[in-house]
Amino acid sequence: MPSKQALLHAKSTPSRRSADNFDRATSWPVSRIPIEQSRRILFTIALAVTVLVTACRSTPRPESNTPQTVRRGGELTASIRTEPASFNRHAARDTSTNLVSNLTQAMLVRVNQVTQAVEPALAESWQASDDRRRFTMALRRDVVFSDGQPFTADDVVFSFDAAYDEKSGSQLSDTLMVLGKPLQAAAVDPHTVTITFPERFAPGLRILDALPILPRHRLEPALKAGTLRKAWGLDTPLAEIAGLGPFVLNQYEPGQRIVFVRNPHYFVKAPDGTALPYLDRLVVEIIPDQTAEMLRLESGQLDMMTSQISPEAYAPIKRAADQGRVKLYDLGVSRNADGMWFNLKPGAFAGDPRAAWLQRDELRRAISMAVDRKLFADTVFFGAGVPVFGAETPANKQWYWSGQPQTPHDPAGAKGLLATIGLSDRNGDGMLEDATGQPARFTLITQKGRPNLERGAAVIRDELKKIGLAVDVVALDFSALVDRFVVKAQYDAIYFNADKSDLDPGTNPDFWFSSGSAHPWNLAQKTPATEWERRIDELMAKQIASPDEGERKRLYNDVQQIFSEHQPIIYFVAPRIYAASSSRVINVTPSEARPQLLWRPDTVAVVH
Amino acid sequence: MTRYLARRLAFALFLVVAVSSASFVLARLAPGDFVTESLGSQASRQAIERERARFGLDKSIAAQYRAWLAAAVRLDFGRSMQYDRPVSDLIPERAANTAILALAALLLATAVGLPLGIVTGSRPGGVIPSTIRSASLVLLSMPPLLTSLLLVFIAARTGWLPIAGMRSASVPAAGAALDLLHHLVLPAAAIALPLAAMMERLQAQAMTEVVGEPFVRAALARGVPRSRVIWRGALKAALRPVAGVFGLVIGTLFSGSFAVEVITAWPGLGNLMLQALRARDIYLVAGCAGAGAIFLAFGTMVSDLALAAVDPRASETRSDEGSAP
Amino acid sequence: MLGTALVAIGVTAAAAAPVLAPHAPDERFAGMLNAPPTLPHLVGDDGSWHAPFVYRWRLVNQLEQQYEEDRSQRVPLAWLSQGHVIQSSDEVNAPLLLLGADSFGRDVFTRLMFGARISLGLAATAALGAVLAGTLLGGLAGYAGGALDDVLMRATDFVMVLPAMYVALALRAVLPLVLTPSEVFFLLAGIFAVVGAPFVARGVRAIVRTERRLEYAVAAEALGATSARLLLRHLLPAARGFVAVEVTLLVPAFIVAEATLSYVGLGFPDPIASWGTMLHDASTNIRVFADFPWLLSPAVAMFLVVLGLNLVLQGDRSAAAFAPEALRRTSP
Repeated sequence: MPSKQALLHAKSTPSRRSADNFDRATSWPVSRIPIEQSRRILFTIALAVTVLVTACRSTPRPESNTPQTVRRGGELTASIRTEPASFNRHAARDTSTNLVSNLTQAMLVRVNQVTQAVEPALAESWQASDDRRRFTMALRRDVVFSDGQPFTADDVVFSFDAAYDEKSGSQLSDTLMVLGKPLQAAAVDPHTVTITFPERFAPGLRILDALPILPRHRLEPALKAGTLRKAWGLDTPLAEIAGLGPFVLNQYEPGQRIVFVRNPHYFVKAPDGTALPYLDRLVVEIIPDQTAEMLRLESGQLDMMTSQISPEAYAPIKRAADQGRVKLYDLGVSRNADGMWFNLKPGAFAGDPRAAWLQRDELRRAISMAVDRKLFADTVFFGAGVPVFGAETPANKQWYWSGQPQTPHDPAGAKGLLATIGLSDRNGDGMLEDATGQPARFTLITQKGRPNLERGAAVIRDELKKIGLAVDVVALDFSALVDRFVVKAQYDAIYFNADKSDLDPGTNPDFWFSSGSAHPWNLAQKTPATEWERRIDELMAKQIASPDEGERKRLYNDVQQIFSEHQPIIYFVAPRIYAASSSRVINVTPSEARPQLLWRPDTVAVVH
Repeated sequence: MTRYLARRLAFALFLVVAVSSASFVLARLAPGDFVTESLGSQASRQAIERERARFGLDKSIAAQYRAWLAAAVRLDFGRSMQYDRPVSDLIPERAANTAILALAALLLATAVGLPLGIVTGSRPGGVIPSTIRSASLVLLSMPPLLTSLLLVFIAARTGWLPIAGMRSASVPAAGAALDLLHHLVLPAAAIALPLAAMMERLQAQAMTEVVGEPFVRAALARGVPRSRVIWRGALKAALRPVAGVFGLVIGTLFSGSFAVEVITAWPGLGNLMLQALRARDIYLVAGCAGAGAIFLAFGTMVSDLALAAVDPRASETRSDEGSAP
Repeated sequence: MLGTALVAIGVTAAAAAPVLAPHAPDERFAGMLNAPPTLPHLVGDDGSWHAPFVYRWRLVNQLEQQYEEDRSQRVPLAWLSQGHVIQSSDEVNAPLLLLGADSFGRDVFTRLMFGARISLGLAATAALGAVLAGTLLGGLAGYAGGALDDVLMRATDFVMVLPAMYVALALRAVLPLVLTPSEVFFLLAGIFAVVGAPFVARGVRAIVRTERRLEYAVAAEALGATSARLLLRHLLPAARGFVAVEVTLLVPAFIVAEATLSYVGLGFPDPIASWGTMLHDASTNIRVFADFPWLLSPAVAMFLVVLGLNLVLQGDRSAAAFAPEALRRTSP
């Protein structure tokens, strides 16, 4: 009888578990080829890799020479990254909702993004009163909505009411206020409207570029009930949505695509009399991933991307363009640049020993001197960028101050400047310390998932390390970032963007005024915290009200000068904007304003 | 048997509730909320407060959770803040898309991985088994993001398959099913390949062990053909560990499909979940997590039944009721 | 043999990175963004032999990131200089980039070695944790059966289904904004161990459950073995093979998951090199397959390490191929 030990140990021998130890030769026909297992594995890997590599090199498909005559008809496929939150411009302000609104709705006037002139749209012509506060606008006649109902002045008044309605809480109301007060719209007769501004407002009708003229006959009940924001949501039957724009919503597949067809009643005609838009159908695909989007464009499955090309994507698109499959558009310098600013709220660092230097002007000027902007442009945008030193970039031809001082790249000078506020290398470790010996260290937050911001923050960190400032870069997702920045104002420094939509600085009061909600370094102040912010408030107030273009420019130059002295936001580089479309797309009016190729959708055509 | 099923269903329900609740609370704890995300960085604090009140986000977590739970009991899972549609509308349509994808991937992975694992495990030497094994290891070393990108890249270069989306924009009704299959190949392959590799490895390991068992040798000695021995006798025993993890496989299918859905623009639950998370759309987040829990509960139930099927010794019902299955 | 060799190479590379690697992992070379590898040559253009040397890369087109070899000058390699085993003799203009440079101009080869420390260390620690926890839980569940089994399995289900992203996001809110690398390391190891344990637990449970009813186990029990002894000496070792495979599945998954978690800000901050973040940066680069394949070297490295691990854990077959076997083939 086997001992207890033996029995208990019977299962512990490794022989059962490993196939090696059983007598394979007697049971299985084992391969006798004496090649090492390992070499075989390596060989098969090499084989697989070779197969893969050769499969990936395919010959390019050359495009035939396309004639350039613009003909009516055809279908265009464009792409967006995210689904719109609604079909109602008053309910959401994301780029996709904006695009849908621009395609299906029309405005009183449009700003031509290329010439920056205000052009008539639904309003044929207008007269301004002497004090330029009242505009009498003559509306086009014989215009009907996409459902056949006539367009009158009542629709215009209704649209203004919709924007300002308190119960509904439109997303557009802030954009259409002047110094916090609404505009007054009144119908004189079915084809004439008067718009009255509450104060003198030099930018004038420009802000009406954002207001879609909605059909009163469809939405009035919702407005009366106070539920306008819920109207025209994503599950609305598309037949209920009507507009004056070039296209009409035809199909919506959630998560996949939105299909638009021509609006047969669109009121704009081409110079030669052809009824616009040229396109029969416009399919907008929802493609969240940029790589997939780009590959589809390259392979011809997509005609147009509505977002600009990122710097890394430039080379393959250029290659495709050289082969004639794709058209590449160089749209010049962007009007917006990302900037770095510190939390300048008084008392934000109470109790923190760094309060002595973290909010000082000298720190920001030193940072501006320390960062090599050419290196920045080379690293973040692969050289396709222009150094900028203030809130305006050269793209804003009308308002950019040519006298803008260009801070030289001077790390030694930066160190000297920092020494004047008490930061120097006291212990010889190459990093700066303050008077008490605490290292000069701060946190820079930025948005996760945006390569330009993340790379830019990395460059800032590395450049500041060279002069002895230690920076911890933390990338947060958008919600968390806004929470820290807007809601709690709990951050040291942030590298982010404050994009402007219109180039006239008067349309951006929230940014410039210290009481503004988008005055990033110190949001919504009750009274200006610093003397220079008070001066900017004064200058901007005059600038917005002044009727004289020359005076406005001078005042704004002064504002930019003050900005340059105190550098509340440090700007580094503005990128060049590139966009791409397939070669069958013609008659595009490109501009560096978003959406670069589709801001004027009615004249876009395809070869067919 | 019925008692067993009832118990499993009860646990499944508990799991769904637990996971949804946990996701709700976690998403609420995360910094920022839907309002900060949708209004963006240029909104005033008053606008933010106003919107928060509108969505009920100014209440405490506990109050909000209680309200949600009370509504959920009545099968009202709230409205998505992003899309302004009921959560119970949004989820089924996306879940169906993910289910199609997951099922296709699962079938593909099992059909490829299991037999290959059997082949590799039953004859350890030779060119074919080592090719298969290295292929598996390559696939396992590639992150799913990379695998899907590679497949998309190949599809783009060769033009054989559509790169993204679930259906074409304009397709005749007659060809709709074929169109779907055409679009299904790429994302299903992206999920199935690493999964097949995992199954192949597990199956190979299990086969190797079983092949050493005395009963196998005995069968061979009796003159039973080798193929019959493998595919009839050894297989059942070797399916044990794979059946054990099958439920997990189903569960991870769901989470593993996130990256693939994003890259191939497949309008599924993974895509929705990521969007919801980014937008802090807490009701949608809770709904998606609950849907995922249902997937897993179903999967583990299938897996436990599968385990019982391949190995009666491990049958759970048997152990409970002590009678023959 | 091969397996052990591969694992040994991986471990040595990780341990000796500061010496073996030519540069520091955060050292950036301006003008070398996404530069291709500088391959060492032995034969010059004129056919003469030299000590190993490289050619400098000259930037031809900055926006398209095209480089051209500057064949006019040979830059010899410097051995055992400045604390590194190998470097180029002109590091400023012609750095030695054995695997090319990444999109910041940092040496991929150096980052691969330093990344091995973090990724392999993290994966090993997490895998160990997952195996210990999972084996324990699975063994207990499979052995005890009944209510304990149910509770444990439902708990593992819960952990499995709860999307790790949500937990990570919530954790991000609670933790301080700036975490030191070692804090991140232990946090991630903990999260991964918890996330990986259910996989191990499920499989072990299935095996233990079946083994429990086999004759030897029943016999052992009859002979008076305590539960603990039965579990530890007989049942759990039966799951060894499965656990070994599971480890080879978990290790690459952990390396990759580390990059995914950095999506919500819980990863290693730039410029710390880890294979996960390197792969993540590579996958977000559109041109990686066509133009910059060297950025995928972490995937190759991962494959080699996992292959080695697989060979080691499942017995090295190459040894067996040479083992003297008994010779007759039995029919059929």
